[in-house]
Order: sequence, then C-alpha cells, then structure tokens
Amino acid sequence: MNKAKKKWSFTSYCYLIPSMLVFIVFLFYPFAKTIYLSLFKTNKMGQAKIFYGIGNYKDLLSSPSFWNSMKVTLIFALIVVVGSMLLGLVTAVLCNKAFPGIRFFSTAYALPMAIASSSAAMIFEMMLHPAVGIVNKLLGLNINWLNDPNTALYCVAILTAWLNSGINFLYFSAGLGNIDDSIYERASVDGASGIQQFFNLTLPGLSPIMFYTLVVNIIQAFQSFGQIKILTEGGPNESTNVIVYSIYRDAFFNYKFGSASAQSVILFIIIMLITMVMFRIEKKGVKY
Amino acid sequence: MKKKVVAVLLTAVMTMGTLVGCGGKTLAEQQGGTDAAAAAETTEGAATEGAAAQDSTAAMADASEVSGTEVTFWHSMGGVNGEAIDYLVKKFNDENKLGIKVTAQYQGEYDDSLNKLKSAQIGNMGADLVQVYEIGTRFMMDSGWIVPMQDLIDADSYDTSAIEPNLAAYYTIDGKQYSMPFNSSTPIMYYNKDMFAKAGITEVPNRLEAIGEVGQQLVDKGGAGEAISMGIYGWFFEQLISEQGLQYADNGNGRDAAATAVAFDENGAAKNILTAWKSLSESGLAPNVGKGGDAGLADFSAGKSAITLGSTASLKQILQDVNNKFEVGTAYFPKVASSDKGGVSIGGASLWALNNNDPKKLRATWELVKFLLSAESQAYWNAQTGYFPVTTAAHEEQVFKDNIAKYPQFQTAIDQLHDSAPEYAGALLSVFPEARATVESEIESLLNGKEDVDAAVKNMADSINKSIADYNEVNS
Repeated sequence: MNKAKKKWSFTSYCYLIPSMLVFIVFLFYPFAKTIYLSLFKTNKMGQAKIFYGIGNYKDLLSSPSFWNSMKVTLIFALIVVVGSMLLGLVTAVLCNKAFPGIRFFSTAYALPMAIASSSAAMIFEMMLHPAVGIVNKLLGLNINWLNDPNTALYCVAILTAWLNSGINFLYFSAGLGNIDDSIYERASVDGASGIQQFFNLTLPGLSPIMFYTLVVNIIQAFQSFGQIKILTEGGPNESTNVIVYSIYRDAFFNYKFGSASAQSVILFIIIMLITMVMFRIEKKGVKY
Repeated sequence: MKKKVVAVLLTAVMTMGTLVGCGGKTLAEQQGGTDAAAAAETTEGAATEGAAAQDSTAAMADASEVSGTEVTFWHSMGGVNGEAIDYLVKKFNDENKLGIKVTAQYQGEYDDSLNKLKSAQIGNMGADLVQVYEIGTRFMMDSGWIVPMQDLIDADSYDTSAIEPNLAAYYTIDGKQYSMPFNSSTPIMYYNKDMFAKAGITEVPNRLEAIGEVGQQLVDKGGAGEAISMGIYGWFFEQLISEQGLQYADNGNGRDAAATAVAFDENGAAKNILTAWKSLSESGLAPNVGKGGDAGLADFSAGKSAITLGSTASLKQILQDVNNKFEVGTAYFPKVASSDKGGVSIGGASLWALNNNDPKKLRATWELVKFLLSAESQAYWNAQTGYFPVTTAAHEEQVFKDNIAKYPQFQTAIDQLHDSAPEYAGALLSVFPEARATVESEIESLLNGKEDVDAAVKNMADSINKSIADYNEVNS
C-alpha cells in the first residue's frame, strides 16, 4: 500500500507539468506580477519605478472616480445578468416546444453568441445615433442615447445583456432537455396549470444549470469591455466607466500600470468573494 | 469536503482568469521594459543629451550598400488611407533601384501602435519606421528609441525648403526636426451654403461669438435644426487656444523644456472658450452631439446642422455623405472672439525613424521617407486621403491640380495653413492623450450642467497638472 502510494505521487505529478507550465506562464506569473506592480509607481514603460506600498490602493479608495466606477460596474452587472438570464430563459422555454419554424427561432435566439461584441456595438452606435439612428426615428423621440448620462449606461447594459443571452439560451435549452417529460405528464394529471408547472417543475429542474449560468454571467458582466470602448469610452461624465474600462484606460492610455494593477487586484477580490458566496448559497438552492 | 476543495480551486482559477486579460499585457510590457531598461535609463529623461549620444551610434550606411535590406514600416492607417499606403509602399518596392524591400504593417490605431512599440522594444524586434500621432511627439522624443530626422536630413544634405514650414514647425524642437510630417491635417469649418442663402446670411461667421449672433437666424429662416454641431473634441479645444494666440502649457508650450503645468487656466484661454461654448449650448444653437472629432459630422451631412467643425481629412467623406443634397462651403476654423490673433496648429501623425543600430536599415528607412515625401507620392497621398501634401512641390503635380479642381473646398485648408504663423504650432505634452481625455470629460460635464465654467477650468487644470507631476516623478 505504502509503496503504491509513493509511485502514484511521482508519476502523476509529472503528468501535471504541461498544464502547470501553461498555467504558470499565462496565469500565475501575470497574477503575481500584477500584485507586485500594484505596489509600485510605474514609469511610462510600465516598469516598477518607485515603491509605493499600499499607496495605489489608498489613492483608489479615496478617489471619487473609483467609487463611481464601482457603482457603475455593479449597476451594469445587475442589469446585464438579470437581463441576459431572463432573455435566455424566456427564449429557451419558448423554443422548448416543437412548432413550425422552430429552427429559425432557435437560430435567431442563439445568434448573439456568434456576434463579436465590437461589431454589435458599431451597429448599435448607428441605430442609436440621435439624428440618423433608427431608434429615434421609430420612436419619434429626440434622445441623445449614448451622450446623455441618464441613458448611456442602460444602452450599453441592454446591448450586453442581449449579446450574452445567446449562450444562456443554449445552456437553458440543454437544461430543459434534461428534465424528464414524464413529470410534466404526471403534473398535468394532477391538474397543475402551466404556470404552476413552470415554477414548481421547470425552474427547480433547471437549478443546477441556472447556478452555473449565473456564475459565468456575473464574471462575464464584470469583464465586458469592447462595447463600452466603442460606444461610450466610459463617458459621458464617467457614467459608463466600468472598472475594466478604467483599468484599460489607466494602463494603456495614462501609462499608470501601478494604479491599473491595483484596480485589477480589487476586481479580482470582488469577483472571488462573489463567487465564493455563490458556492456557499449553492448548497441551499440547487437541487441535483 | 473534497468537493468543496475542488470548488474553491475552480473559483480561484476562474477568478484569476479575470485578471489575466489585463495582467498578461502588463507582463508583455514588463518584458519589453527590462531589456530596454538599461538603454532607456541612459537616454531617458535627458532628451537632448540622449539624442546627442545617439548621433554617434546612428550612422547611416551609403546608399550603395543597402541592397537586400528589409525594413518594416508600422502605420495606423485603416480603410482607404491604408490602401493608399500599401500602394505607395508597393510602388517603392517595385521602383527603387537600391534593392530595398519594405513591409508595411497596419498596427491598429495610434494608441495601439504605440503600445505595441513599447512591448516590441526588446532588441531589434520592432519596426524601423513608425507612424506616431502628433500628441505622442514628446513621448517619442524622450523615449531614447529614435534617430531624429534632422540627423538623416543633415547626413544626406537633403533640401527641406519644400516642406511646408507650418507642418515641420510642429515637429521641430530647439531647431531640430525630430520626425517627418506625413499625414497632417488642420480643422476647418464646414457650412451648408443653401441654409446660409435661405437665411440671407452673406458673411460666414469667423468666430464662436458670431455663430451665436447668426445662429438663431439659421434656425428660424434657414431651416436648420441646430446652428452648429460641434463634437466635444480635445483637439478643437487646443485649436481654439492656438487661435487666441495663447499657450496650452508652460515652458513655451512645452517646447523650450518639458512642461510642468498647464497655462490655459491662468492666461484665460480655457475660460474664454468654455464661456463661448457654454453660451452656444445654452441657447440651444450647439447641442451636445457627443465626444470625438467625427461626432458632429452626421448631423451636418444629414442636413440638420448648418455648421460643423471637422478635420480637413473629413472633406471627402462629408461630400460623399451629403451627395449633392446641398452645397458644402468651407471656411477657416473659427476664433473665439474677434480680437483673437492666433492661428491653427496641425494634427495627424508623423514618421519616426527608430534606432536599431543598423546603418543599412537606417539608410533604407531614409530612402523610404524620401520617397514618401516626393512630390509625386504626396500628390497621390493628398488626392487619396485628404491630408495635406507635406511638400509644396506637390502643388505642381497634375494629380494635385486635378484633385483641387474636383474639390475646390480643399483650397481653404491650404490657405488657412499658410495664413497661420508657425509660432502657433501647438503644445507638446508628455501626458497629452490623458490631458485630452480630461478636457473632453470636463467639457461634457459643463455642457450637461454639472459644473460651471470656472469649476470646469479648475478641474481640467488640477487634473492635468497632477498627471504631469506624476509623470515627471517616475520618468525623470
């Protein structure tokens, strides 16, 4: 027994080497480097120049712009996660029944998955243009959607929700397929209405996939970048300056890698906390 | 228990993934930095000494020795402009008798290209010639990577008298021309001639105040939805400072020495601009059309606004979009008040020769620059893109004459350039990209009614001064 155990540990660790190498180069090293850089003031080349300790973090936590970014990010993530999951769920449930033209509809609902965020953003930019855009023309309004601090965030958030809904549609469709049809039959015999069936059978049946989708969606929402860069560049008045965009801006525009790294670390901590909380909740809400 | 451990590990990996998008690039920056560090350290911060030190190493080979040399040209021209570059480079490759082969590579927008350059500066992996936007000038000068164009001009006894003095002036610091202007533009005012005729306005306004005076007439009688669609663009703000004959930054606009603070708050330039802008905005004549140089163009082309401000390089696009629905007039970029005595400065980008310690490559690069500057190339470039011909010799080319006959509006741009004294060349600032973004964001707040003019000016100055101080702290 003892002998076998020893052998086990050596060879199996060898098998880990290739994947660990990839992880070290692309994950662990940059991760450590980011933490290291966040403790320094960096020069324009991105080299650590002056040790600043937790100064970058202190500066951030006392900067109104950073707190604004946090607020914007949370609102943005909330709209995106709720929006994309609802849209994905509704479309998946709609397409769960066989009817003529179902292929067309399922393709249409899954399509956002295949659209690059930047090209979608460019299309929306044209559609939302105040003078020549179709949205204002159809609604008969004269709203400067992307340049009004009151509407800009909702525009990018709704676009992102739609973009993310494609993959959710796919997950939920797969989840619905896994629910045994016979329980619906039994429920019908018992006289359960469609709505009761949905809330008592479909939703609990979807809960494992729902949980996974939720985690992925939250992380995805926090990382949205392309559409914001193209549509609003964080403006107007920083009303769409989500933290990922703020990191990009600081690192590659203002050449402040120290501050950008500190923001990355804070973002990491936030997402890790959220994910850990989610896994804790999972035990209560998810039925496998 | 085991499941919990796996879950936590998965969590950690998943969340780490969020960092990599940013961290990974920082890593590249870092690697780029370390090797270049020693080199950069010696030259950085002391731009002039650094440049002087390079003179000895940056020797240029003789034209006869360069056969078979390959050089790489990084540019940021997409679309039609990119095709024009490809055409010129192909022509150079086919026609040069020295056996030089040039590869032109599109490197994304100016910001992206500069970032890639920073990463690529490990040994000689980067480009030999790179196109950098005008606000990156100070950065490039201080980078320690470059061979000033002046050295090549002197070594080859090249005659620079044909180069437009106003264009060269921007890139000339302490009497030394650091880079070669390539795609230069100035902003001009575009106006809807039909609306002006309908409103019975014969005199085209030449200042923001005057736009305010005739604006209501354009809306009431001319049929305009708004008098002027003016994008919130840092470049316009800088131009309006130049037009007042005032300076953006201290130390002679950052040209005598690196700027230590902005000057537009104390000399009143910013206040004048913002007051005029705000009053246009409040009277509804200049609604907020968004950020960026192109933001106001769509309203104009759609026949909604009577006036717009834009780069000369947008002329073709505008004429194409308007498609003869109305007659497009061009006029000089407006001043703020009638008493202003300044002129416009230029925008666009210039060509920088990088020091790869290879005399043959340097010579080949210089040959390419000379080709790109030739009258024939410049006439073609101007006709294809709408950027200025860098050399006045191009004015004699048939291609240029045909083009100006087709687009007589372009003459305005050339006249305006010649009417502006080279002393209004504009500021040099190490943190210009950031400063420009700050200016735009504050103007946005002002127009949205979040702050008044004085607060906007103060916030601009404070924020940019802090950036300059931070930059000087770590980069000197």
